[in-house]
Amino acid sequence: MHVTDVEPGTLGPCHVAPDALRGIKRQQTNPARWSGPNWPEFSAAVRARGIELLETTAARATFATDAGGTAYGLAHGVVIARSTGQVALLLRAAQEYRVPVTVCGGGLTTEGESVAFGGVLLDMTGMSRVLHIDAEALTVRTEAGIFWHSLAEELRRQDLDYLSAPLNLTSSVGGTLGVGGIDVNSARLGCSADQALALQVVTPTGEIVECSDTHNAELFQRVILGYGQFGVITAATLRVRRYTPLRMHYFYYASLSTAIEDLQLLDRNDASDYSGILTIMDCAVNVLVAFDSDEREAAFMADWRARLRGCGEFGFGLRTLIHYVLRPWKLGEAWYLLQRKRELFPELRRPEYMRDGTMFDRSVVFSRAVWKFWGSRQMVIPDLATSAAKFALAVERGNAVCRRYFPHYTLYLVGIKLRPEHGPHYEMSCIPPDAAGWAYGCEFEPMLDGRAYSRDYLQSFKNEIYDIGVDIGASYYRFGGMMKGYIRRVFGDALVDRHLAMKRRADPAMILNRHVIF
Amino acid sequence: MLGFTNNTPQPHKDHAACSGCSLCLLVCPVWRRSRDIGLTPLGRAKALQYGAAAADIAASVQSCTLCAACEPVCPEEIGLVALTLDLRRQLAQPALAESLRARMEERAARPHAPRTSLAAVLLPDPALRARPATLARAAALLGGTGTIALAHDAGADIALALEAGAAVPAQRLARFLQPLRGLKKIVVADGLLLRHLQQWLPRSKIRSVGEALSSLANVRGALRAGDLYVIEPRAYHADYQRLVRHYDGLRSVAGCAFNLDLQRIAIPAAARSLPQRLGWETAIDAADGSADASEQARWILQGRKVTRIVVESMEDGAAFERVSRLPVVHLADLADDGKS
Repeated sequence: MHVTDVEPGTLGPCHVAPDALRGIKRQQTNPARWSGPNWPEFSAAVRARGIELLETTAARATFATDAGGTAYGLAHGVVIARSTGQVALLLRAAQEYRVPVTVCGGGLTTEGESVAFGGVLLDMTGMSRVLHIDAEALTVRTEAGIFWHSLAEELRRQDLDYLSAPLNLTSSVGGTLGVGGIDVNSARLGCSADQALALQVVTPTGEIVECSDTHNAELFQRVILGYGQFGVITAATLRVRRYTPLRMHYFYYASLSTAIEDLQLLDRNDASDYSGILTIMDCAVNVLVAFDSDEREAAFMADWRARLRGCGEFGFGLRTLIHYVLRPWKLGEAWYLLQRKRELFPELRRPEYMRDGTMFDRSVVFSRAVWKFWGSRQMVIPDLATSAAKFALAVERGNAVCRRYFPHYTLYLVGIKLRPEHGPHYEMSCIPPDAAGWAYGCEFEPMLDGRAYSRDYLQSFKNEIYDIGVDIGASYYRFGGMMKGYIRRVFGDALVDRHLAMKRRADPAMILNRHVIF
Repeated sequence: MLGFTNNTPQPHKDHAACSGCSLCLLVCPVWRRSRDIGLTPLGRAKALQYGAAAADIAASVQSCTLCAACEPVCPEEIGLVALTLDLRRQLAQPALAESLRARMEERAARPHAPRTSLAAVLLPDPALRARPATLARAAALLGGTGTIALAHDAGADIALALEAGAAVPAQRLARFLQPLRGLKKIVVADGLLLRHLQQWLPRSKIRSVGEALSSLANVRGALRAGDLYVIEPRAYHADYQRLVRHYDGLRSVAGCAFNLDLQRIAIPAAARSLPQRLGWETAIDAADGSADASEQARWILQGRKVTRIVVESMEDGAAFERVSRLPVVHLADLADDGKS
């Protein structure tokens, strides 16, 4: 079957069973593979400029899919980023020969955003060295392909830490700045992208530009949370802080809405340094709070603990036992909860990461758990990002969708403190336009448990979650790749067309991450 | 393979299970040096998933240092060391295989060494054998009550064959294992050999030199808060779940720093590829031109305030001596040092 390539910026019809999903208009999600015109000339040109271009199957196969494992594509060639100058040369040649370039950092996208459907795959992990740490000014300058974990390793040698980063060791700094990045301290410190002070960017036409809120501010605004459309981030200056271990507390709820109310209460009142919700389906809803200092913890205990409606582990266990004794037909669910608890909880309290009751390496603890208990070769994690007021409704509706589609799933909910001066950064991003003060995000992650689900089934699930966003007026963290059909539906044509026009001006041949959002 | 032993323990899961999480990259010394995913366990697994043969990824297979840091962090619990060794076996280089086989067969033909009457035995590696005074002290410390013997046959030829992925003749393996069977305790210096001995002799208590020595009260007592204690990574990662607790306990008692990263994975100080271990290359890797065998040791020291480096392995000690003026002491020499 021939799938026609469509003009970047438009979505073609889906050629695969266009009427298979009732009520859902099918659009082409995985783009057609770029057919390779000019590839021989392009590859000769980049090699002549001293760029190593890897064309073996082994090299290309490494990047054939992303963490989602549902989108597959092969680049014509792979370039490992080695320097800003090299990236600039590559983009100039790509612009000249109209060859698409897909940029990959940690490759943790789930909708195929970092998968190359032909053209060049630019592997940014090749540029992953820390350039300079200023312990006095509390800043770090780093190459952008670095994993947050590698950055943490270097910072910790100087007793420093990053402000906030995804709870995943293998997210890259550049990739995170391009999409947002949430942590369990985002309700206090904002999304990870908000900690960037300055960037070195290679524009789609190959210019090397330094930008910040005060210098080339327009480029800075477009690149931050820009889904890789307006340049390749090659270096970043980030705020850092003194390292502190943290003390974690868990409170258990049987109701999502009650837990969300309490989470938002804590966030509004700056009652904790870290906060978030992690669930096992909607049966065990865990509000986690944590503190960087004894003083903050003591203040929480004195002022806020009694106001929380969640209970401790023992109390919750007792309540859950009674709940299932009275509902014996739900014993399967009870067994799953018990098993999950027995596997997961010790992992969150491994003694080698704890000292005197404090957690020393939160990103390590959570990231190991993320991959061990939620990771697999296939992952779908649709999400909703809303204002504080709409959040409980969005989560309840999304939870109902999860219940219908999967026997087991997890919800991860967290607040994001917004910075009013960063309004331009947030335009057409995961930050919903109507959010003020805080935005809230919820990830809906089914446990696939080794079962085989068709792509249609998974896509239907994601669509149902994303339809909620359209219905209530929300945004999404993962709105690129296979979900980009929702961009115009949530943001409207006027805004998307304005950004598309900016993209066409910045990237005349539409070569850079051309299929990610437009 | 009739007449040869399948010396590569079979992994629970193979390359097909790789989800591409990249956690192995974070701890891989080859990735740290090259920043080339193709040279990592992830790169090999992904290439194999797409039909690559061992020959297609030969450079990657040979560059692996077998430090095994990737195994404990793999959430899919893929047997990454076994996978690499299996790929090396598929890349059999006839001349090398023949040379190793001849060496092992010659060793097998030697007369039987007398079986020790003691309950424990120490198997030194060539680097420890090259330092007879340290080896003698290690043996004395471990056999404080006269209960440990120095192995006549330490299996250095087998260790090298394992490293190269070459098959070990069954006769040679039987000759090597025969005097070890039934012993209560076997202390091994070579981490790769230790990993295999745990498979071959599952009932024996097999410990690394580092663990055995650092369990002794007089050695522990000689550690100082300003020490950098360098764990030998191969043995540590082969028994990670148990040993992470052992060294965490040592940290809390001695207060010293370790060559551990934030995941509590041991950063290898003397990471060497197969060609380098075989003496075919002097630089750790000629592929990227930036080869520097001392980079790992420098990285371990970066930003740390230490006054002394304590090593479990002589190879690690040599790596630090190249990059630092700090005193470098083998664990076996610590007890003496503590008394002085």
